[in-house]
Order: sequence, then C-alpha cells, then structure tokens
Amino acid sequence: MSTIRQSRSFLQPKVLARLSAIPLFARQPMQGTVSGRHQSPHRGSSVEFAEYREYVPGDDPRRMDWRAYGRSDRFYVKEFEADTNLRCCLVLDTSGSMDFGSTGVTKIEYARRIAGSLGYLAVEQGDAVGLTCVAGGVIENVPPRRNPAHLSAVFDVLEQIRPKGETQLPAALHELAETARQRALVVILSDFFVEPDELRRAFEHLRFRKHDVAAFHLLDPLELSFEFRRPMRFLDMEGGSPIFAEPNAIAERYQAALRQYLDQMKQIVLESAVDYHRVDISEDYERVLSRFLVERSRKRGRR
Amino acid sequence: MSFLQPMLLAGLALAALPIIIHLINQRRYQTIRWGAMMFLLAANRMSRGFARIRQWLILLMRVLAVACLAFVIARPLTSGWLGLAAAGRADTTLVLLDRSPSMQQAGSGGGESKLAAGRRQLIETLERLPSSHWVLVESTTNQPRELESPRSLEHLPETEPSGAAADWPAMLQAAHDYIVANQSGRTEIWLLSDLRTNDWSADDARWEALRSAFAAFPQGVRFHLLAYPSTAPANVAVRLTGVRHRTVGDGGELLVSLRLERAEESPKPVSVPIQFEIDGARSVLNAELVGKDFELREHRIPLGPRQQRGWGRVSIPADANPADNEFYFAFDQAETHRTAIVADDPNIGEALRLAASIPTDPGELCSAEVIDLAQAGSIDWDKTALVLWQAPLPQGETAKQLEAFVARGGQAIFFPPLAPEASEFMGASWQAWSAPPEGAAVETWRGDQDLLAHTQSGMSLPVGQLELHKVCGLSGEVTPLASLKGGAPLVARAPTPRGGVYFIATTPAAGASSLASDGIVLYVAVQRALANGAAAIGGAQQLIAGEPGAEAAAQWRRLAGDERGVSIENAFQPGAYAAEEAVVALNRPEAEDAAGVLADDRVAALFRDLDFVRIDEEAGSARSLVQEVWRSFLAAMMFALVAEAWLSMPRVASAARQAGMVGAVGLR
Repeated sequence: MSTIRQSRSFLQPKVLARLSAIPLFARQPMQGTVSGRHQSPHRGSSVEFAEYREYVPGDDPRRMDWRAYGRSDRFYVKEFEADTNLRCCLVLDTSGSMDFGSTGVTKIEYARRIAGSLGYLAVEQGDAVGLTCVAGGVIENVPPRRNPAHLSAVFDVLEQIRPKGETQLPAALHELAETARQRALVVILSDFFVEPDELRRAFEHLRFRKHDVAAFHLLDPLELSFEFRRPMRFLDMEGGSPIFAEPNAIAERYQAALRQYLDQMKQIVLESAVDYHRVDISEDYERVLSRFLVERSRKRGRR
Repeated sequence: MSFLQPMLLAGLALAALPIIIHLINQRRYQTIRWGAMMFLLAANRMSRGFARIRQWLILLMRVLAVACLAFVIARPLTSGWLGLAAAGRADTTLVLLDRSPSMQQAGSGGGESKLAAGRRQLIETLERLPSSHWVLVESTTNQPRELESPRSLEHLPETEPSGAAADWPAMLQAAHDYIVANQSGRTEIWLLSDLRTNDWSADDARWEALRSAFAAFPQGVRFHLLAYPSTAPANVAVRLTGVRHRTVGDGGELLVSLRLERAEESPKPVSVPIQFEIDGARSVLNAELVGKDFELREHRIPLGPRQQRGWGRVSIPADANPADNEFYFAFDQAETHRTAIVADDPNIGEALRLAASIPTDPGELCSAEVIDLAQAGSIDWDKTALVLWQAPLPQGETAKQLEAFVARGGQAIFFPPLAPEASEFMGASWQAWSAPPEGAAVETWRGDQDLLAHTQSGMSLPVGQLELHKVCGLSGEVTPLASLKGGAPLVARAPTPRGGVYFIATTPAAGASSLASDGIVLYVAVQRALANGAAAIGGAQQLIAGEPGAEAAAQWRRLAGDERGVSIENAFQPGAYAAEEAVVALNRPEAEDAAGVLADDRVAALFRDLDFVRIDEEAGSARSLVQEVWRSFLAAMMFALVAEAWLSMPRVASAARQAGMVGAVGLR
C-alpha cells in the first residue's frame, strides 16, 4: 500500500496481506461521516432493504414503491440500511510495565504490532484511525482520520513512543469517553496493571457513550508462571520502590493474588460487555488478530 | 551434657553452614525489572502467620539437623548429675567400695544386692568414662589396689561381700594417701555405699582433716557418691548374745542366748523359725517376733558325750538381707579362768585376788594366784587370761612375754607400785604419787564401752563415788577411760591391736582409795577383763570379722561359711574356722545390725566445699548410670530432616499449575 512509504519494524506485509482478507467490523452501529462497511443507526442507500414507511409529503417521489401502491392503493416509501465508516481509536498503554518481556518481545512491541496492523486494516477499508498513548496521563493523541497519509503519522507515533512512568489508564479512558464526539471502536492495548474497580468504571463510562470497547490484555508468560530459582530483587518499572523476595517463599501468594485479579477482570469485562482478549505475548500476534477479526465477523453475520 | 569424643563437637560449627549458605544465597540475588509489582505487593500483604515464619522454620530445621549430626558423632552421655562426671579424661579413677554386710540387702526390684547392683553400675559407668588408671579401695583392708580395667571389679574376691564393717574415713584417708604417693593427676573418686551411720562415723574428727586435705589438691578431685540408702523395714537380724558350755553328767550342753531384731518396729507378729546347727546337727525353735525385737536367753542345746569343742550356727529364713540371717559361734568345754596377780603389797594382792577369783556365774570356774615380781617368769602365759600387775613395770624378758600374751588376746591391768620407777611399758610409765585435794573424785568416765561401760540394764557403774586418797601420775600415749578433775587419768588404756592393757592410777589399798571397800567398780572391771581374756585364749573364740589379722586367718581351715570365699579373705568372711588350737567363729559387728542411715544433709556436710555429686540408686534397678544418647540425637536429626522436607515441599507447584490453567482458559 502506498501509505507504507518506509518499512516499519512492527508491520509485516505478509501478515497484513493475510489479515486483510478478513474485514474489521464493529459490534454495534457506528456513526460515520461517509459511506463505509459498517452499519449505521440511520437509514441510507445501501442495497440492504430495511423497512417500508408510509409516504409523507416532502419524501422523494422517486423512492416510492409503486408495486406496493398497486397492491394496497397506499403510498409507501422503501427504506434501506445505511452503511458508514467507523472511527477506530487505538489506546496504547505506554507505562513502564509495558517494557517488560521475557521471551524476546516486550509488551509494548507486541502492542505496536497489533495496533499497527489494526490501524492499517481499518484505513484500508476506509475507516478512520486515531491513536492515544497513555501512561501517567495522555502522552500522545492522534485524532481519528481516514486518509492514508494520516496512517503514517499514527505509525510514526507508534514507532517513537517509549514506555515510561506509571499507569493512569482509567483516568485516560474517562477522558477519552468524554472527548470522543461520535461512537467509536475503542481498542485498548495494555497489561491493565491497575485496580480492577477503577477499570470497571472506565469501561462502563465508555459503554455509556456507546463506544464499542475491545481490550487486549497483554501478559508475559513469566508474569503468569512466576518461576524463579534464585532470590530476586524486583525493580519496579513504574518507579516504585524495589522489592526483595525469595520467589519460592512468595510464589504461592503471588499466584493467589494473580488468580484473584484475573477472576475480577473476567467479571468486569463480562459485566461491561467489553470484547476482552487475554493475550500471552509468547503467542503469534497474527493468530490473536485473526481470532479477534473472525469473532467480530461472526457476530455481524448473526445480526 | 558430656561426650566421649568431645573433640568432634568442633563439628558444631558446621551448624552455621545453612545460615551461611542462606546469607550467601541472599547476596547472590538477581535483579530484574518487573512490571507486575501489584501482585508482589499483594503477596507481601498476604504473608502472615505460619507463612511468615515458614522460611525461618526451614532454616532452623537445617541448623538442627547439622547440630544433631555433630552431637551424634561426639557420642553424648546422659546429662544431669553425670554431666559433671565426665568432663574430660581422668588420670586416676578411685573406686571406694563398701563391702559391709548391710550392702548385701536386696532391693525391691529383684534379688540383686546393693553391692552387686552398685558394682554392675560402676563397671558400666567406668567402662564408658575414659581414665588412665583404676584403683580399688575396699572396705576390709583399706589398701589401694590397681585394676587393669573396670571390668576387673566383676571377678575380684576383694569386691565380694564381707562380714566386716567399713570405715569410710579410713578408706578416704587411703585414697588420699594414694593420690599423694602416686602424684595422680585429675582424679575421680567413686564411692559406693549404703550410707550406714556406723560405717561413715560422721562425727569422727578425721572428716575435718580429710576435707581440708582433699580440698588442698590442686589437680582437682571429684567425688561421686553412688548411694543405696534404702532400708528394708521387715528385715530381721539374728545375733548371738552369749554361748556357754556346761558339763552335765557325762556329756554337756550349750546355753545359747540370742536376739532377733527387726529393722523397724511393727505391731504385726511374725513367726520366725530359728535353726540351730551344731557341728552339722540341726534343730529348730519357732519364735514369735512382736514389736522390734525378740530375746532368747540360755536356750539349752544338749551335746553328745564327746562334743566338748566345736562350732555352731544360728540361722533364720531368708529375708531382705541374707548377711544378717546367720550367726556363727564356737564353743569349748568351760575352763578355769586363770588370773595371775603380781603384787608388791600382799594386801593389795589379796584384794585383787578376791575380785578375780569370784566368778560372775556359778557355772564358771575362776582361779587367781598372787606371786612376787621375782616369780613373774613362772607364770603359765598360755593358760592365763588376765594379769593384774601391781609392781614396777616389767622389763626385759618378762616385758616381752607380757607383750606376746597381750598380742594373743590376753588382758593386763597395771596398778602403780609403791615406789614408782622410770621404767616404761607399752609407751606408758608411772610418775610420782600425789594426794589429790580433799574430796577429789572422778569427773568423767567412758560409760559407752570398755571396762567402765554401763551394765546391760543401762545402769552406770558407781565410778563417781570412789574415794581417792592417793593417785599416781601416769604419762605416755594412753586413752583415758576415767579422768579426775583437772584431766589427770585414773583409768587408761594403752593402744594395742589385740588384747587389752589398762592402767589404773591408784591401788585398792585402804590408804589409797576405796576401790576395795566399794568393790563394785574393781570387781566389774576385773571380771570384764577376765572374760575378755578368757574368750581370747580359750579353745573357742568369738571374733568380729576384720579383727583377726588377714595373714594369720589365711592359715585357718573353713568349717562353715561361704564356700566360695578364698582363704586370704578368711579374716573378713563370717563363718566357723579351725585355727591352730581353737575353733574360731567370725561374725559381723553388732553395729551393722542397726539400720541407721546417714541423713542427706549430713552427707552433704561431710563433702562440704568439695567437688561432690551424689546419685541415689535402688538395688535391682536395671537402668544404667551412663547411657549413650546418640540415638536420641539421631532421631532428632531425622525429625529435623523430615520436618525440613515437609516445610520445603513445593506447594507452589500445584498453585502455579492452576494459575497457568486459568490463563490458558482465558486465552481461548
């Protein structure tokens, strides 16, 4: 594609080529400015019949269904579904903890790949893409636009952003919910190392604003297994005080805390209808993305 | 705690190894930049109670296991009193063994006597405690004897029961002398005793000297008293109080007096069959013992026509102490008790003759002959029981004969001559006559023993009523039996191994004293000396074990008694023996029948200021004094290892698996 003027480390053309076969759909009607692939809350001029409506003066006589008049001797107007584009807001957590990766790839790198690929796919099908980088606050904000040149700016930000500082994701999500003027597909890429209750409120706020929220919960395998053999000094990547621990002694309780957190997360995403994907970053991102896209296609097919 | 291999205790330092490893491990930690700090913080918050101390418990168990291993290889011995016992290798270990008859008392736990139990315990103990030399001092001879090993105690005849009483001050003195003579290094002294008051003589003045002498040893002397203080309240002892031969018609008969004594008074009557055995012929008499004792007087036992001399035995059934269930006696045809009187003054000679020739019992025959000093050489020393000497002290050949007479058991009483000379006999000599102040009387006299002892009924002799007009001075190493006001001796005894040599510092003359006119004191004293002399020189001799010399007794032939005893032990083994010219009956001393046990505080006082440990044991107790307790430490080590393994069990593994599964489920 012409927008990729230079090679980006987080984009793999072959993967993008394979993924572009699956369209990116929103789970709910979107309010776009132009025609697109997505369902709109309004009636429009697509080929998909929606309903008959009784003619009222002022309606375009060309849209009257003469066959229906012949059968019923009454004037009806035939309405069709409107198809529109969507605004895809990519929210990238760039706090310090995203720099962690035990398998050779860090969480931020993984997030870049997903965000870059999704952005490319969205722009390719005519949707607008924006990027918000969040750490202690909103670090970078690229508003959604649908022209391919804009995608390059998004990629630039993705490439240059460095994980640093603490996480204030819930506050940033609240801010996003307030500032986004129209319905959008909000894709959050984070490790969500924040209090689940705060996160719940942020998700609910986004849902209240009729945004379609998708969350990629990025976790490193070492964070899940916590397998260490020697005493460890854990330096907080987000600037907190270090903790010295004998892993054998603490592993049991660490696992208990982790289980409790994951259970809470599961509950929250169910209650707030978030399209939640827990991702082990040792897994190939192409599979994660294709799963994400296919699930969305299926849901649209069921409509 | 004490150890057979204390050097190996250095291995205890290895117990610090787990701590050192822990510290090293702590220092070689890895640093990691970590994102999921919230779970670590939550885990730290969850850490409480057992989870918090678990790591410390694991460390403790590891230290414990290594320490126990160090203890095991150091071979620990039982702690407590013995812990003091074996704090290193002793140069000399002295074993002081009480072989007195009371040590044969069996314990409640079984048939083993106190002596056997103590000996066994000592062997077991000493075999485990290292020492360079082992020395035995036993209570009959008080002679130190080197042992090859503690095991020798088991087979030596010198550790078998004896009939002689023990003299603990003398045994300790012997131990002290041995330490001095051999310049022993660190010395352990083990005392095995049943703490009988008569054996320990706690009031003896020697104790004070012994205490200071032992305390003065710079090398350190440690006393271990293995005590068996238990008594047997139901034990009955039999003791012959008299045996007399009487000629009746063609034959004769024995008049036997005896006493049964129970250790503690009890209203419960006990029937005791008393068996008499005369030269092997037995007869039985049933006695009813009520209260504390039973007295049988002059029980007649007819003898055969030819039985004029022989031995006999009185025995009662076995009880707690077999040593006091038998009593041996020897008898002989009654002989005339002869007294030789050498007198300057015929009047005095006559008074003495009267006192010596009237027998106390009508059945006895007494004769006394008064002779001049010049005729002293003609005395038939072999048949004479008593010599009364009121003349200048004997010199030359006469003195030698008299000394030999005394050494055989004869008795001699010396009265001052009219004109005292400077001559000396048995370390004593007469000084000048003097007239004591008017009304001077005897101030003190020994009423507990010897010539002036109280009568059998407990009445004291009227020594204090004697009137003294003239008293002759007496000098030399003598033991006063009666003293005048101011300390001058009136009656004294010279120290002799056998027999008796007495000095009375006045005469029965009317101008000297009222000895003749108030004749009771003189008569009793003379008759007591005569009886003692007659008993010693007769064909039948009643002796107390330990009294006769061991060498002389070794020549005797055993007629009755413990057949296992060796001849060198004859002098200490109760029994009947055939000596050269007499039948000898050897028995335990009377004091051994008294069940008095030294109180604990008195024992402690005897060893005051000394390094002293006491352990009370019970005869028949099977437990050993010293036990190696390495097994316990091994068990403790095993426990520590198992506990460590349990605590370190990776319970996290399953939890991790669960967490992993949760993650996996979530991803799908």
